[in-house]
Amino acid sequence: MYDVIIIGAGVVGSAIARELSRYQLKIGVLEKNLDVCNEGSGRNSAVIHGGFAYDPGSNKAKFCVEGCLGFKELAEELDIPFRQTGKVLVGNTEEDYQHLLKTIETGRVNGSIGLRMLDKEELANMLPSVIGEFAMYSPLSGIVDPFIYTIALAENATTNGVDYFFNQEVTSISRNSAHMHTIQTTKEVFETKWVINCAGLNCVAISEMLGIAGYEIGFTKGDYIVLDNKVGSLLPMPVYPVPSRTYMGIHVTPTIDGNVTVGPNANNVEDKSNYGVSKIHMDQLAEDAITLWPHIHKKDYIRNYAGIQPTWIDKEGLIKDYVIEVNDKYANVVNLIGIESPALTSAVPIARHVVGLISEKEDLKKNLEFNPSRKGIVKFSDQPDTVKASLIEKNPDYGEIVCRCEMVSKAEILEAIHNPLGVDTMLGIKYRTRAMMGRCQGGYCQMKIAAMIEEEKDKHVTELMHGRQNSNLFTGKVK
Amino acid sequence: MLKEYTCIICPQGCDIEVIIDKKTKNITNIIGNNCSKGEDYVMQELVNPQRTLQSSVLVLSGELPLVSVKTSGSVARDNLPQLMDLINSLSLTAPITIGDILYENMLGLNINLIATKNVNKCK
Amino acid sequence: MKTINKDVIIVGGGPAGLAAALELYKQGIKDILILERETELGGILKQCIHDGFGLTRFKESYTGPEYAEKFIEKVKLLKIPYRTGSMVLSVSDEREVKVASREGLVLYRAKTVIMAMGCREKTRGALAIPGERPAGIYTAGVAQAYINLHNKMIGKNVIVLGSGDIGLIMARRLTLEGANVVAVFEIQPYPSGLNRNIEQCLNDYNIPLYLSHTVTNIHGKSRLKGVTVSKVDNEFQPIKGTEKYYETDTLVLSVGLIPENELSLSASVKLDLRTNGALVDTYFQTSVEGIFSVGNALHVHDLVDFVSLEAEKAALSVKRYLEQGQLPECDIVIKTDENIIYTVPQRLNKHDAGDLSFRVRKPMKNALLKVVQSGRLIYEESFKTIVPAEMKKIKLPRNVLEISEAVEVSLEC
Repeated sequence: MYDVIIIGAGVVGSAIARELSRYQLKIGVLEKNLDVCNEGSGRNSAVIHGGFAYDPGSNKAKFCVEGCLGFKELAEELDIPFRQTGKVLVGNTEEDYQHLLKTIETGRVNGSIGLRMLDKEELANMLPSVIGEFAMYSPLSGIVDPFIYTIALAENATTNGVDYFFNQEVTSISRNSAHMHTIQTTKEVFETKWVINCAGLNCVAISEMLGIAGYEIGFTKGDYIVLDNKVGSLLPMPVYPVPSRTYMGIHVTPTIDGNVTVGPNANNVEDKSNYGVSKIHMDQLAEDAITLWPHIHKKDYIRNYAGIQPTWIDKEGLIKDYVIEVNDKYANVVNLIGIESPALTSAVPIARHVVGLISEKEDLKKNLEFNPSRKGIVKFSDQPDTVKASLIEKNPDYGEIVCRCEMVSKAEILEAIHNPLGVDTMLGIKYRTRAMMGRCQGGYCQMKIAAMIEEEKDKHVTELMHGRQNSNLFTGKVK
Repeated sequence: MLKEYTCIICPQGCDIEVIIDKKTKNITNIIGNNCSKGEDYVMQELVNPQRTLQSSVLVLSGELPLVSVKTSGSVARDNLPQLMDLINSLSLTAPITIGDILYENMLGLNINLIATKNVNKCK
Repeated sequence: MKTINKDVIIVGGGPAGLAAALELYKQGIKDILILERETELGGILKQCIHDGFGLTRFKESYTGPEYAEKFIEKVKLLKIPYRTGSMVLSVSDEREVKVASREGLVLYRAKTVIMAMGCREKTRGALAIPGERPAGIYTAGVAQAYINLHNKMIGKNVIVLGSGDIGLIMARRLTLEGANVVAVFEIQPYPSGLNRNIEQCLNDYNIPLYLSHTVTNIHGKSRLKGVTVSKVDNEFQPIKGTEKYYETDTLVLSVGLIPENELSLSASVKLDLRTNGALVDTYFQTSVEGIFSVGNALHVHDLVDFVSLEAEKAALSVKRYLEQGQLPECDIVIKTDENIIYTVPQRLNKHDAGDLSFRVRKPMKNALLKVVQSGRLIYEESFKTIVPAEMKKIKLPRNVLEISEAVEVSLEC
């Protein structure tokens, strides 16, 4: 019998799991995929936003600003790769200028710190590679590794007693007269008092299972092109054009690994599970963004990806705010609807808010064993030579380099294979170590990694998965 | 009808063209070969193509799970599926040395199966 | 960190590195060390279990591992120093080679470095093939490693994109090991691989080859379900209306090899964008003193026999460099016309012109190659047929390049 079951192990679900683990509660997280961060949380611009793009008084504004101001500390606490690079919104026309002035004012009202205008010279000094007349500068914005961020939250939650269940899709929820819930998944049955709906793209489906009808969401798909890290040095911070009312604009964003992403666009789609990127969209992204930052060339494309967000849109097509609600009629439920961008930035403040809602109904007792710190896998490649040498001396597995392009050692891969969440897919190892993310995209190392997962987790060759359920890598042995 | 071949008998790799009458299926001309071996090669290709076979065999207790193998000579192309069945039925135990004859007189065709790499015994 | 001095550090124990080591040893240079990242020497040959290797050099048709063993057994017999399980982390422009292995971190201060790292494969991402990202998409070399080394079968119904030799070899390999290869698609209007491979890998198994076609979409969320293939026009753009859906669970990409030169970049070695390998002179020396480049890291070869030959030639130059402290300047730049993609080397010395390897941009018949310096015809050779898939070599006569002016190499029909 659980006190709380959280449905969805994305960045928000995992942030809530961690915040709740500060209290003496039996907490479980149900995730339909084989790892955390498979959907929206891992398919975005990976930017920590300043909070100026949202209507004052809205949840998005409140949580985004709080998240931005607290992110540096959070990143240190959880050993999350994060760089407070700053960010610019670039404009050219008088209309743009006025828009940016308004944005600074909105930011000020929301509590964003340090927003100011840059003139042409200042912009050119800060970002010589960008084309623009002036810009708004947000010094506290930054870039993060969204996978390690979500993994860190989940691992810390696990360390503090939370149970994670993967490959379990919720199929039905029932409630008894005492408002205790029975959750049926594709594998098991869970009994719990509280249910927290963090199902992202499936938030409406879960909401309806909980009996809370009437919500409609649209699916907004954004495509991205990823550029080789040889152009990374030309872009020290995210650069956005002045936004319109419905989406951010075609940005160029450096990634924490030194690559550059071009995107996203924003298109309404029907199929929330199709992450394919079309050629037309790739061409459009490049055509658009090149007017802002000219270093976008096909020869530097290394891959592409897409993300889909659950957008709560009203009848006029306007994007609405986050829904984070409790209701006496549906007691012991926290329902989250439309948690789209800036969810990455807002995750922990959202989680604190959710805990606040629960604490109004429950007498929460502090978990005295709670440890807020989490250490990630030590990156061999980032260490100075003296540390590299001593790592190898203590553990020779550090001297055996498996991924040549990213210089990832056997020791790190083994640590990733034996991660606290029990994930053992190829993508799971990739996100935890950066192996297979380099130029050869696993051409040299994937065979070794597959063999290591096979041996360490005692798997049959047909049980090795790429990332999703049924993403079998092999049909069997050759002989 | 024109058929083009690259002779594989010697390193010269002559590009040989064979002109075949579409109706009678008779060879009307062979050009491009530097010696008679080339002519023999294309005649064989047309009538009963010969092929060598390379594959792998399962190895037990070895540092590697497979040993790469080859046939000691060529066989008629039509025999390849049966040869593969035979190879698939085998399993060997390490150590294996390059050049080892792993199976003699496969399918009674007077060719052997030869190991083409070393596989040491697992420590 | 331990620091060791060496006359020659060879990065890579594949065919290029091995041949260079043996030649150096034969020439009396003994203070050599081969650094190999795998647990065994042999490089990519370990997984090339098909035959066709050594026809020129040994007059035999060896399999890849057998060809490699011819060099490995000599290296072991002569006790030429080598370290396996050793990954070179960086090479500086002063020839300091940093290596990691289970034994620790070591810095070698080398008088000369031979870069023989081989090449990597072009990936789906680099091609920007649209569509979903399911499991079941493998580059040909990865598929080959899984099947030939790791005993893992990658799929049942396979489509191969790219008719280069590796793709053709894998089409046969997959068929022999029980898969159904549906078709091979090639974006060019001519096959990329050798005719004999089209015959023995495709025609033998009735696998159709479609020229001027490419994969334009990928379908399947978890595991590949199918691909959309389109015909392309003269500019390699998909022709609307020609889309066809093929059901398949495996896509093998054989779409190009790129010389692996991350380490060369770390040493500030200048690369030739036409080859993606180092710019070298007639001595195989790169733009950095004492750093040489050979094999697939220099330019992608088709025959390993020529890799060995090239590495042996480079070894002679390395010996000369060690003895004389430097090599003669190569100030004769080679310019090519639009029919030739590249030449290696890219610079010559007027006394030691030597061999010139080159590749043609598209298939030509009855072509005449001319090497001209300042209007003077230096050399000419005619080729009955010439295709991009086959690297060609010409031998320039010695001492005919009288002056240090650029040389123009052209190819006309």
